[in-house]
Amino acid sequence: MNGTDVQFAICGSAGDGTIAAGDILKRTMALMGYKVIAFDIYPAEIRGFGKCISRVRVTTEQAYSLKHQSDVLMSLNDAHAIPHVGEVRDFGAVIYDNAPIARLPEGGHVSAHIRPMQLPYGVSFRSISDRATGNARGRNIVALGYLAGLYGMPAEAFHQTIANKFATKPQAVTDANVRAFEAGYEAAIGTFKLDDVVMGSPLHRADGARAVMMTGNGAVVRGLMDAGIDCYFGYPITPATTIMERLAVEMPRRGGRMLQTEDEISAIAATIGAGYAGARSATATSGPGLALMAEMLGLGVMAEVPSVVIVSQRGGPSTGMPTKTEQSDLNMAVFGGAGDARRIVLAPTNVEGCYRCAGLAFELAEKFQTPVIVLLDLYLSNRYETVIPPKENPFEPKQATGPQGPVFRRFELTESGVSPRAVPGQAGGVHTITGLEHNELGRPSDQPDNHVAMSAKRYRKLEPATRYPGLTTIKRFGAAGKVDIGILGWGSTFGEILEAMFEAENEGISCSAMKVVMLSPLPVDELEAFFADCRVVLVPELNHEGQLATLVSGTLGRPVVRLPRATGAPMRVDEILAEVRRLAAETAAAAE
Amino acid sequence: MNELLKPVYLEEKLEEIRADGHQDYRSRSLPTWCPGCGYFSMAEGFTLALKKLGRSAEEVVVVSGIGCASRFPFFVNTYGFHTLHGRTLPVATGVKQANDALTVVAVGGDGDAFAIGGGHIPHAARRNVDITYLVFDNGIYGLTKGQTSPTSVLGFRTSTSPYENGDEPLNPLMMLLAYRASWVGQAYAGHPHHLADMIAEAIAHRGFSYLHILSPCVTFDKTTRTYRNLNMQVRDLPSGYDRTDLAAAMGEAMKVDHPALGVFYEESRPTLADVMDETARKAGLSPVPAGGE
Ligand SMILES: Cc1ncc(C[n+]2csc(CCOP(=O)(O)OP(=O)(O)O)c2C)c(N)n1
Ligand code: SF4
Ligand SMILES: [Mg+2]
Repeated sequence: MNGTDVQFAICGSAGDGTIAAGDILKRTMALMGYKVIAFDIYPAEIRGFGKCISRVRVTTEQAYSLKHQSDVLMSLNDAHAIPHVGEVRDFGAVIYDNAPIARLPEGGHVSAHIRPMQLPYGVSFRSISDRATGNARGRNIVALGYLAGLYGMPAEAFHQTIANKFATKPQAVTDANVRAFEAGYEAAIGTFKLDDVVMGSPLHRADGARAVMMTGNGAVVRGLMDAGIDCYFGYPITPATTIMERLAVEMPRRGGRMLQTEDEISAIAATIGAGYAGARSATATSGPGLALMAEMLGLGVMAEVPSVVIVSQRGGPSTGMPTKTEQSDLNMAVFGGAGDARRIVLAPTNVEGCYRCAGLAFELAEKFQTPVIVLLDLYLSNRYETVIPPKENPFEPKQATGPQGPVFRRFELTESGVSPRAVPGQAGGVHTITGLEHNELGRPSDQPDNHVAMSAKRYRKLEPATRYPGLTTIKRFGAAGKVDIGILGWGSTFGEILEAMFEAENEGISCSAMKVVMLSPLPVDELEAFFADCRVVLVPELNHEGQLATLVSGTLGRPVVRLPRATGAPMRVDEILAEVRRLAAETAAAAE
Repeated sequence: MNELLKPVYLEEKLEEIRADGHQDYRSRSLPTWCPGCGYFSMAEGFTLALKKLGRSAEEVVVVSGIGCASRFPFFVNTYGFHTLHGRTLPVATGVKQANDALTVVAVGGDGDAFAIGGGHIPHAARRNVDITYLVFDNGIYGLTKGQTSPTSVLGFRTSTSPYENGDEPLNPLMMLLAYRASWVGQAYAGHPHHLADMIAEAIAHRGFSYLHILSPCVTFDKTTRTYRNLNMQVRDLPSGYDRTDLAAAMGEAMKVDHPALGVFYEESRPTLADVMDETARKAGLSPVPAGGE
């Protein structure tokens, strides 16, 4: 990548202000006009001294994921940072506190682990903070100031972010933090910089549009709000809770209604109830909640009621690893529940996609009268990216409803499979919907012909969804035409796939990548074309079985190479790259 | 001539029924219940109540679960949602949240309400969702052909309690009072006119109203909750009864051997919609909190 591409990793224990320092750093970088991708990892426990890492990648050109190597590691706690020294690239920097409070055992200092090609900077954050503010609490901000000074970043931008961050606190808090920052900054000025990390200036867009920084969940909230959400029902569960928390703030200001229900069954039940009554309604949950919702989703399919379900996956099965990421609920999202119950499932691959999918989910749910699941995972829900907000609201307002004809056939067997819909309150539209199989009028029926016709209708009506305007349901990247290696991916992992694909291309490997955003119904024609173009198709994903691999190879009847990884952490670019290299060597050997 | 001896012609009788208007609320589907089932009184009572309240059919939504009682929406000519076993209340809550103007009536059996759906009742009651919940309690699972329910009496022999039920039955009225339902009443399928009045009153109440309806399952219960037994057991609430006295209501609810018919308890407090409006008002007054991403 030309231009600036620097990844910072700040590592400490809970209570060191690690995440706070990372937050100020990424916000300042975004404010300056850089592109930012950032992801924090923190322990599951609320209290204690678990490890926190904040990784911030700052670029001038579009990046797609974090890098597997960082350029700079800043340690606020050596015991936690030592295992991460290895992720710093050669000629990168390791910055640490050379006078930590506790006496560390032999080998307990991060400095003892720095490799010869990595460049160390020992700074006494603690005493600098003491001198500047009268206590050591500002140690993380001193460290941040040092980092800013070392790489020549403008201090004023940081001052502004610091002031924003502490806006609700007394002025003295902001002042003390600015003093700590300045002291760290000054300490860096006299330092002889040894590493080769360079921060070029940010590129500004020709149209002057300013990027904002958002998480995947934040983008979901914006998408739901811009699409005019009327009702939200939810039950707290990591990593989806922040969606409900933000909607609780925003919806009442705009006439929407947010209700915290007694469980996920009632959340989806009320979402579907509100959908039946004509509202744009949504709920959000994670895997365990989706499991509870399965029966209701079936009702939504059978009774043809619009609803939107946001699912942010985490480590499973069962309670699993609530604060770790995983992509293991694809099967449940696509197939979960009783009977032949096809629904629409969307899996955005980046923060911008979260915004689009969440908003368009309402349109799809209404147009196709069905539940729509938007599948994220913890890594996508919580990672920050800079995005350019759309100039105009891209979403369509609610579709008109109303009975048609002298006899209102709510489930009329039309060519498209979509039937006219009326909502309670509309005259002439009185009807009853049910989870029982029913005839065109909605009356229970278990006649064989009727069941066959109604099942076919419920499948048929979803087919055009794969070509829905304004929605990227599937997309190919990199070389067009015949290639040796195709990499197929979905969800949060696709950023790493793209990074690996571009690196492989640079190495001369013939490859290209395809993302599947619509997992149900699958855009089969595009997938067929991709498979026809690739000698082998590799499917990297964050689960144990290879769920997308099974879905696609089962649907197309074609072989795939699986790369399933379920460690709880995001996929590593170098792991995908190694597999691509191996496959490339294999195909080359086979061709000889 | 003696009134009773006057011949009644079907056509004339039908004309009379049509003219009355309450049949407008009935759908063209005939109920599929067993002849003699207590549920017929609900179809009649409900339509009479809507007539009395003058609600138009399209502004009424009946939400039900699964069971014989829950088949109800198919037999009335209002909007209806026949949902899942036990999920009546949360679906009804969603309908009401979407549109305050609708009259929402939730209907279910004792199993639907107190076994599989028991977890939802306290929350609908405490939030005071402005809906009416009609539970038809026959002390048995009718639709699945006669298994023990949470309100089956001790000693009742069913297909799943072949050696007699030994589980203490629930007391729904005490539960609903404890959950702070803002209107709690009891009616009996064998007294259809009283039932119709009670349904009308329950619907007219602003807030969560719970009407418990004792209803015989003539097919699967020949021994306990029969018309014959209930006719002997039911009674009126004592004269001078104060329906705003929660402790008195609890006392009456405890007398399970002689169930009282009438309004046990009534109070006026903010509904869920009121709370939502108040929240919107408070939100409008406070500054935009940070963290919009
Ligand atoms: C999830 C689920 N579990 C079980 C059933 C089977 N089932 C249908 S109705 C019913 C019980 C009905 O009893 P009640 O609610 O008392 O209604 P009644 O038929 O007596 O009116 C059961 C167990 C079901 N439909 N769904
Ligand atoms: S089985 Fe019992 S409850 Fe069901 S319709 Fe027949 S009599 Fe009524
Ligand atoms: Mg029953």
